[in-house]
Amino acid sequence: MTDILTRDQIVAAGRATTRDDAIREAGDLLVSTGAVTPEYVDAMAEREQTVSTYMGNYLAIPHGTNESKSSITRSAMSLVRYAEPIDWGGHEVRIVVGIAGLENEHLGILSKIAVLFSDMEQAQAMADATSVDELYRLLDSVNAE
Amino acid sequence: MSSLAASPPKVSGAKAAQVHIQRFGAFLTGMIMPNLPAFIAWGLITSLFISKGWLPNSILGGFGNADTVGWEGAATALAKAADGTTFPQYLGLVGPMIVYLLPLLIANQGGRIVYGERGGVVASIATMGVIVGSTIPMFLGAMIVGPLAAWLMKKIDSIWDGKIKPGFEMLVNMYSAGILGMVLAIGAFFGIAPFVTNVSAWLGSGVQSLADAHLLPLMSIIVEPAKVLFLNNAIGNGTLVPLGVQQTIDTGQSLLFLVEANPGPGFGLLLAFALFGIGTAKASAPGAIIIQFLGGIHEVYFPFVLMKPVLIVGLIAGGATGVATNAVFGSGLRAPAAPGSILAVLAQTPRGSYVGVILSVVLSATVTFFISAVLLRASRNRDLAAESDGLSAAIAQTEANKGKGSSALDALSGLAGSLAGEPAMAAAATAVADHPVRHIVFACDAGMGSSAMGASVLRDKLKKAGVTGVKVENLAVASLHDDADFVISQRELTDRARLKAPTSVHISVDNFMNSPVYDDVVREAKSRQQTEGSTP
Repeated sequence: MTDILTRDQIVAAGRATTRDDAIREAGDLLVSTGAVTPEYVDAMAEREQTVSTYMGNYLAIPHGTNESKSSITRSAMSLVRYAEPIDWGGHEVRIVVGIAGLENEHLGILSKIAVLFSDMEQAQAMADATSVDELYRLLDSVNAE
Repeated sequence: MSSLAASPPKVSGAKAAQVHIQRFGAFLTGMIMPNLPAFIAWGLITSLFISKGWLPNSILGGFGNADTVGWEGAATALAKAADGTTFPQYLGLVGPMIVYLLPLLIANQGGRIVYGERGGVVASIATMGVIVGSTIPMFLGAMIVGPLAAWLMKKIDSIWDGKIKPGFEMLVNMYSAGILGMVLAIGAFFGIAPFVTNVSAWLGSGVQSLADAHLLPLMSIIVEPAKVLFLNNAIGNGTLVPLGVQQTIDTGQSLLFLVEANPGPGFGLLLAFALFGIGTAKASAPGAIIIQFLGGIHEVYFPFVLMKPVLIVGLIAGGATGVATNAVFGSGLRAPAAPGSILAVLAQTPRGSYVGVILSVVLSATVTFFISAVLLRASRNRDLAAESDGLSAAIAQTEANKGKGSSALDALSGLAGSLAGEPAMAAAATAVADHPVRHIVFACDAGMGSSAMGASVLRDKLKKAGVTGVKVENLAVASLHDDADFVISQRELTDRARLKAPTSVHISVDNFMNSPVYDDVVREAKSRQQTEGSTP
């Protein structure tokens, strides 16, 4: 698709079992690619305290605060799928998308995810996908904008 | 539901006027409310540190002689002593805050609402012209000049929007705002400031002629609105006190000292807010009562009236009741009660006047309280709908605006019914209009995640519904401008979004992915698009 969400930033079997660990797991993927500094992951956790990033239909999109944008070196995203639902403030989350966005460079791919997840059947397909290839294919199939 | 698109609600002239009044009210609230802490800070500083305050402090209160007090380095100004000599007097916090800080904050906020940070800056520059062009506090000037300056900046920017050579945008933007600010400050200095000074003088002579004609209670019709516009000292000290002093020489007391200084009406108003207000206003009213009634700093209740101007009716009635009571009992004060605290009032009451003076305070407070309470109760549902995001309240309000029987609202009501017990989704409309929807903004905290998601989903839905010409963008709440038709935000952020964009219709969502509100927005956009094409 683009270099914003590459294959190695997609995980089909996430290990976290709690919301906070899941934010860290998605955040660490962003750190490992050099897109953000570790402080950004703290900002992601902090941002979750003020407003939940639960989007509906199994999806949560943790990201930093407006002030933490200085910790981003380039736009990047990560995607982690969980076989068991994670309790996200009372909602069930199966797919966690970590976002580090600069200058709206990530909006193309984010739109695809949004359109995909606004359809419950497709969201279910994402939640049921067991391999990185399958997740990637589903994402790529969306024709947004 | 199917007839929805075909029969868009007609907005009658009266309804349109109502919408305009509501938008104006929302604008006033947006301009005043964020600055309430500054009013409270000023009220506390004043009631504590002025010469008749609780902890008089000649340096902070601004009445000390720098030569005798000896605290060095603080700002001073030459003042005239009673014996005609001049001395360097500390400026203190009280005067500069009410003369500069409060009007500039109001102007900046008003400018921001109209045209973002840029509007706020130009508004503040221009308002500086009215402030220094006159010697009375310039709240009226700030409330007029601030938004006007920002609006002019917006219009001027639109002239060369997109026509500036790349690389020169910054230069043009900085200098156009700087030059406009300079021109407006000078224009306000010579144009608006004398005008407001004249208004103040006319009001003063109006009060004087009413006193001469012995139509004393009618003075409240002039005095109460003038107070709320911060012309209280101009009228109190400029007209009422000299007249009162004249009377005191003849009769030993005067009720004129109590026309402006009576703390009763303000107390009644704040009590009504404390019991029947909503949100921040309700929460801050009890503290304001202490500053106003005991501290005698009436200014703290003025913002409450500026936010909801209809309440002036209750203040006028209360003020007139107080004046009439003193006239009936032949009671008055020996000397001006300054500040207008209940304690200062009682201290200046001659022995024979206690009954009349105390009754005038109690009765005026009671009358203002009841009228304000009725007015607040009457608009409570509408205010609550604007403040919280209860769906049924929002629908009730929209229904009131639009006129009954609109099919769009029937559809929404049905939706509300089906969602009863699920507070997750809530929509709040603050105003409606019948022009086509052109601009929808999704707002979230950072402007990179949730709002981008929501914007994508709505764009997709609009495209599928064949609606064109609608700009959907996503922004951080901090970057919101008041120029969108709809602002969609998460429930927790809607209050903040509303402050940034008070005249937009605000919609709260909890679920960005499949919120039923989107379908309503798409329907609304579609129906308005068709209205545009079919109406002459």
